[in-house]
Amino acid sequence: MLEIRELSTSYGPVKALDGVSFSAPRGKITAVLGANGAGKTTLLRTVSGLIRPVKGSALLDGHDLSRTPAERMPSLGLAHVPEGRGVITELTVEENLRLGGLGRADRSRPSDNERVYSLFPVLSDRRNATAHVLSGGERQMLVIGRALMATPKMLLLDEPSLGLAPRIVAQIFDLLKTLVESDGLTVLLVEQNARSALSIADYGVVLNLGKLIVHEEAAVLAADDKLRHAYLGF
Amino acid sequence: MQQFLTTALTGLTLGMVYAAFALALVLIWRSTRIVNFAQAPMAMITTYVALALIDAGFSYWIGFAAALLSGLVLGAVIERVVIRPVEGKAHINAVILTLGLFIVIHALAAVIFGSRYRSFPAPFGLQGFQAGDVTIALTGFGIFTIVSVLVVMLLLVALFRYTDLGLMMRASAFNQEVARLLGVKVSRMLTLGWALAALVGSLSGLLIAGGSLVHPSYMDSVVVYGFVAAVLGGLDSPAGAVVGGFLLGVSLSFVSGYVGSELVALASLVILMLVLLLRPGGLFSHAAERRV
Amino acid sequence: MSVATRVPAPLAKALGRISSSTLLRHLLFALFGLVIVILVLESTDQFRNAQFASMAYLGIAAGGLTVLTGLNGQLSLGHGAFMAIGAYTTALFFQDSEPPLPVVGVLIVATVVTLIVGAAVGVAAARLHGPYIAGATLALAVAVPGIALFFSDTLGGEQGLNVLVPDIPDWFANVVFFITANEVSTSKYIGYIGWLCLLATFVLLANLSRSRVGRVWRAVRDDEVAAEIAGINLGRARVLAFVVSAACAGLAGAVMAMAVRITAPSGFSLTLSLTLLTAVVLGGLGSLLGALIGAALLTFLPQVVTGVGHDAGLSDLQAAELAPLVYGLTMVLVILLAPAGIVGSIRGAWRRRKESA
Repeated sequence: MLEIRELSTSYGPVKALDGVSFSAPRGKITAVLGANGAGKTTLLRTVSGLIRPVKGSALLDGHDLSRTPAERMPSLGLAHVPEGRGVITELTVEENLRLGGLGRADRSRPSDNERVYSLFPVLSDRRNATAHVLSGGERQMLVIGRALMATPKMLLLDEPSLGLAPRIVAQIFDLLKTLVESDGLTVLLVEQNARSALSIADYGVVLNLGKLIVHEEAAVLAADDKLRHAYLGF
Repeated sequence: MQQFLTTALTGLTLGMVYAAFALALVLIWRSTRIVNFAQAPMAMITTYVALALIDAGFSYWIGFAAALLSGLVLGAVIERVVIRPVEGKAHINAVILTLGLFIVIHALAAVIFGSRYRSFPAPFGLQGFQAGDVTIALTGFGIFTIVSVLVVMLLLVALFRYTDLGLMMRASAFNQEVARLLGVKVSRMLTLGWALAALVGSLSGLLIAGGSLVHPSYMDSVVVYGFVAAVLGGLDSPAGAVVGGFLLGVSLSFVSGYVGSELVALASLVILMLVLLLRPGGLFSHAAERRV
Repeated sequence: MSVATRVPAPLAKALGRISSSTLLRHLLFALFGLVIVILVLESTDQFRNAQFASMAYLGIAAGGLTVLTGLNGQLSLGHGAFMAIGAYTTALFFQDSEPPLPVVGVLIVATVVTLIVGAAVGVAAARLHGPYIAGATLALAVAVPGIALFFSDTLGGEQGLNVLVPDIPDWFANVVFFITANEVSTSKYIGYIGWLCLLATFVLLANLSRSRVGRVWRAVRDDEVAAEIAGINLGRARVLAFVVSAACAGLAGAVMAMAVRITAPSGFSLTLSLTLLTAVVLGGLGSLLGALIGAALLTFLPQVVTGVGHDAGLSDLQAAELAPLVYGLTMVLVILLAPAGIVGSIRGAWRRRKESA
């Protein structure tokens, strides 16, 4: 579904991504793992159009994303939840969700925030509160909900577990798994917390210094001790 | 008593105009993080457009509409063509750029329209009302001023609070990158922001001109007062701009009435420095100390 | 063996000392400049002399401003106000044909008065950044002429004060006659005063720029946090830069008062402050040479542009407005296309050529 071919991005003389190639199959969760600075966030930002690659391409169902501006991505069915979550704290919960719905891919139906509220009841209680007052876990739920408002077929998630208690992380990851199964979402999940990520992922991709080291089924990756010690920190 | 009342009422009316101008500055600051010093000559030149139409025989209201419309267009064009290249870059570039525009628009107005002092009509009359022995210094035009600014502000509030477009504009102002990822065409929102700000600026230009004299420099001090009003309320706060304009208008009116009109600009400088040194975020800032 | 390599030892030592001593080098430049000034002032008529005097005081103010904005990063839109202070102080001294102080004394007093006001403003401005310092100095520029209007009894109100330039001292006329066999008109006298002040000011500014003070200023401009960590007192550095530039503007105003023979509020409008900024931007922020080029452009370009306007059929008033239109447009284009200004762009191109060679 998402095909990355020889994708290369540079920040000046520094090669952040160097000839990365792999596919993220439809309806599956592909984890993108590696140490800090490996290029994981750069990969997502290049796919979602915030950065222009110097070489290579990213194809979403055949459509070349690398020459598409970021604003057009939601209409193509791609939603990107960035590093740091990207909650617009000056807007209310309701407004954040409404904003997400404005760019939705499926225009035949009205924007549906009730579904998000039923998935995340805590947001429903706070729907008129300024997003500023939400806790870390609530914010993560908000941005995932906001991304869902755009009826995406593909979701890019950048370090959703960052700064969250393990219990909340487990809750969110469970929810993610459920959504993938119910909506047929394809997910590209960047995580530092490789153990949690591999527990819900179907596939895993390991990056190091901008290069792709390995692309394997998640279970195989989790079982490979040498690899885990070398690149994943556990 | 009479003088007090007159001064207060004059301040109220003036304050509304400063509030409008301050609002224009705040709109642009929120979306592009630039203080548009050129807003004053932009408003001035759209007033001249109105004047040209009025000279040609059209009614005041046609001129009025034309000024607002040309403000809208001018704001959009300037953002798209001149300001876009420096957005997000070193701040000093944007400041110098708006000052360069200030000079250019000034000179253009003088070349095209001449530097003579021209009088500008004021609808609804310039007479105050009599209530017993007290003359209430609220003229028909003064009421029009207050009402028109309030109407524009309410329309803007409605736009931002209740419409999708307004939501997109606010999102673009608060977090450009996230807005882009959500499908908002941020660059269009920025252009729209400048266009609306220029429209509000044009309104204040027309209101200051009414019953008074128009010449290329007539709006110059307003950019100072508008800036002080905006800072008073907090550059990020539209509500603050309105309150700031109001407070400043009344204060300056009292300075003008009881001390001397020549010292009004100095008074505004003193007020500005007091705010910046004591409460840099403006009167409505929260605890967070912002570095100015 | 070529002759060029056999430079006599004492001369080589002298040259070496000059090139390694900043002060000597700058003084040598100044001396060279003085020679050119004499040549130019002596060979041109009164009208040109007056124009050169204009260029001189604009140059002094622009020099101070470019140091403040270019080296230290503080944008000031209010230097016209400082010029007004220097000018009005000077005017107050030159109300009688027998002034209480000689010219040099008056210039010093005017500079000191402006310096003191500059210190007060600088202390307030040191805490402001970005648009706030721009707005505050803008307010200053608009406020100061109003003060002159308010105290109209002493300061002449709308009409302003006339400035009675004292007679040219005999010793000066004699020296000039001795060197050039020419008489000295008042315009030429003021031209000399202006340029002598400019040369002295530029030597001072150039030395400051190259010294530790200049390095501190640049450090504060480039990275406040790093500068503070390095032990630099941000406030003190900023106030010093402000004071120096205000003093320059005060001196410039003093010379302007003598050159124009009148100080009135209308001469110190916002336009003056913006004009100074234009000079500095066009030449290149931080460059003294740029400030001089900017001052030259602003003195001589208007005439050229107005002439073009006349030929194109514009009226007098319209043609006069053509000059600010041109340099406003140039300023916009410079920021968009060549933010380093004329001097900066040339220097940049020069450096790139040297690197690729």
